[in-house]
Amino acid sequence: MIKSSFYGSQFLTLLSILVAIFFINNINAAEGGPCKDYGDCDKFKYSLNDMESLQRGASTYINYCYGCHSLQYSRWGRVAKDLQIPEDIFFENLVFDKSIKPGDLMTGAMSDDSVNWFGVAPPDLTLVSRYKGDDWIYSYLRAYYEDSSKQYGVNNLVYPGTAMPNVLLSLQGNQRLVCKNIPVIANNGGEKRDENGNTITNEKCGFLEVQEGTGELTKEEFDTLIYDLTNFLVYVGEPIKATRERIGWYVVFYFLIFTALASLLYREYHKDYLK
Amino acid sequence: MSEIAGKLFSWVNDRLPIVNTFERHLSKHPVPSKVNFWYLFGALASVVLIIQIVSGIWLIMPYSNTEEEAFSSIEYIMRDVDYGWVIRYIHTTGASMFFAVVYLHMFRGLLYGSYQKPKELVWIFGCTIYLAMMAEGFLGYVLPYGQMSYWGAQVIISLFGAIPYIGESLELWVRGDYYISGITVSRFFALHVVALPLVLIALVFLHLVALHEVGAGNPEGVDIEEFLDDDGVPLDSVPFFPYKVLNALVGIGVFMTVFAIIMFFFPEGGGYFIEMANFQEANPLVTPDHIAPVWYYAPFFTMLRAVPDPLGGLIVMGSAVAIFFVVPWLDRSNVASIRYKGIYSKIALVLFGVSFLTLGYLGTVGVTEVRKTMSVACTVIYFAYFLLMPIYTKYEKTKEVPKRL
Repeated sequence: MIKSSFYGSQFLTLLSILVAIFFINNINAAEGGPCKDYGDCDKFKYSLNDMESLQRGASTYINYCYGCHSLQYSRWGRVAKDLQIPEDIFFENLVFDKSIKPGDLMTGAMSDDSVNWFGVAPPDLTLVSRYKGDDWIYSYLRAYYEDSSKQYGVNNLVYPGTAMPNVLLSLQGNQRLVCKNIPVIANNGGEKRDENGNTITNEKCGFLEVQEGTGELTKEEFDTLIYDLTNFLVYVGEPIKATRERIGWYVVFYFLIFTALASLLYREYHKDYLK
Repeated sequence: MSEIAGKLFSWVNDRLPIVNTFERHLSKHPVPSKVNFWYLFGALASVVLIIQIVSGIWLIMPYSNTEEEAFSSIEYIMRDVDYGWVIRYIHTTGASMFFAVVYLHMFRGLLYGSYQKPKELVWIFGCTIYLAMMAEGFLGYVLPYGQMSYWGAQVIISLFGAIPYIGESLELWVRGDYYISGITVSRFFALHVVALPLVLIALVFLHLVALHEVGAGNPEGVDIEEFLDDDGVPLDSVPFFPYKVLNALVGIGVFMTVFAIIMFFFPEGGGYFIEMANFQEANPLVTPDHIAPVWYYAPFFTMLRAVPDPLGGLIVMGSAVAIFFVVPWLDRSNVASIRYKGIYSKIALVLFGVSFLTLGYLGTVGVTEVRKTMSVACTVIYFAYFLLMPIYTKYEKTKEVPKRL
């Protein structure tokens, strides 16, 4: 009898309120897009157990980003170890300064003149995935477009007026903002047509399109490159993330067993005084 | 061997009331035989307190309380200290869970009249614990020295400046500098790890001693002391050990499962437990786009914002917490539990709960005209719940409380 009244309807009400709060907050998270003119950020799903992706990401980072952006809380040897790259191969191919030791922090290769070059010092990116979010990074790096009014000839939909030039331009090719004729959708969900049966279209602008033949990579290859790079930044933002999620299952499982045993014991003892 | 141990024990026990205290406050302590899950949150709060103290001690070891190293020492804990991330996430998750269980514990008090005579002091000690927790939580949030640490502290400390005459000097005295700096961090560190934990432990001790003096309540609001057996033990009670301990153990199991799910899979709690901006080191030159408090202060932050005048806002926010202290004298009802109170009390409590949650939501989002109006409306409802309590509890029809549980 006690058991049935202990977690009564009130408990269910409380639970549903807490779940409702969770959903309200999720709706709230989608509001006021951080990706600015880009609209909703593209969704990014990290895969921290995909070592090849992380290795490619690390290689892209060190080759294209590390010249300006340090990873000052991360250590060289740790990256090699976590990404399962043998230390000798790692140091031979990815570490250009031969005086660096595995225990050193990745403090960057940038001189103090950088403020004069870009107007701002390039930020350290160790934690960028944690304060900007992985969706943001994944969208930002793919949202550059030609804009001759800017210092480096490019602008960005996700971060309008960004101080960073499009370092990956040679790989991606020249991306421009274009206008397209978009079919007007009727109330019934189909495309609207005029009397002659032609689709009615509206011109809409702000679409990103890469000029064919200007980049070394296809769109898919470039997206994969950015995926790997973002995946690496997620890793470096929290190196133990994969471990954390793995251990988490064991801990949750342990407490479930604990709860089950505790409630069996509880039931046994309460037989005494329920009589 | 066991004979010597027995002798040693009785030697100590003759000089220190071990057995007596143990029996009186733990093993034989009588507790009401019928309670519901709302009565678990007190036990859970003490579990979290212990979790916070232990994880806190381990965090102090690698943490550096200087302006230059505070932020990077946190990353050092997260990366270079073996299982440092476990300790840190326990502490950050624990902070949010502490407030969660304490809010539910307080709501239980309002629900079943846990503040009514003779439990006024238990309630007042509890309110003081909550006050100390708010200070403790705020001080702790400054220590990682991220952007939200810095700017949150900026907003809160500048509140002192709104006090007439002494405001500015007080602000300077609290901060220890003309702007938030390493001096602020190191004094907040001292308060967070020594001063306030001592206060909290002392208050929790008083809370429990007072509770054991007057006895725990129950959802029926029945006074179990009315019917005693031949030994003077209430008939509607069970000994704390093993019954309540096992009861709590199940609750702790469920609680720890939730705790582990958050800690291992959602340590940032969607930006509500650890705010995203706090992964950027404090920068006095760059204000974050949107300064929002952590969720557990959000309802009070909304009230602060709802009043245009800083001093007025401070008074409203302070009163919102202070008013809890006088609840025992605002409730004029002849029954304790919501089950036997009239319809007005029930409506009032629901409106209060809804307004509190809405205020919390509003505190985490930006301000618009509609939200501003909602903030004011919810603040009014919040205070109306307390201020009208003497009226609606006195003039409503209550049901008769049974004699036994």
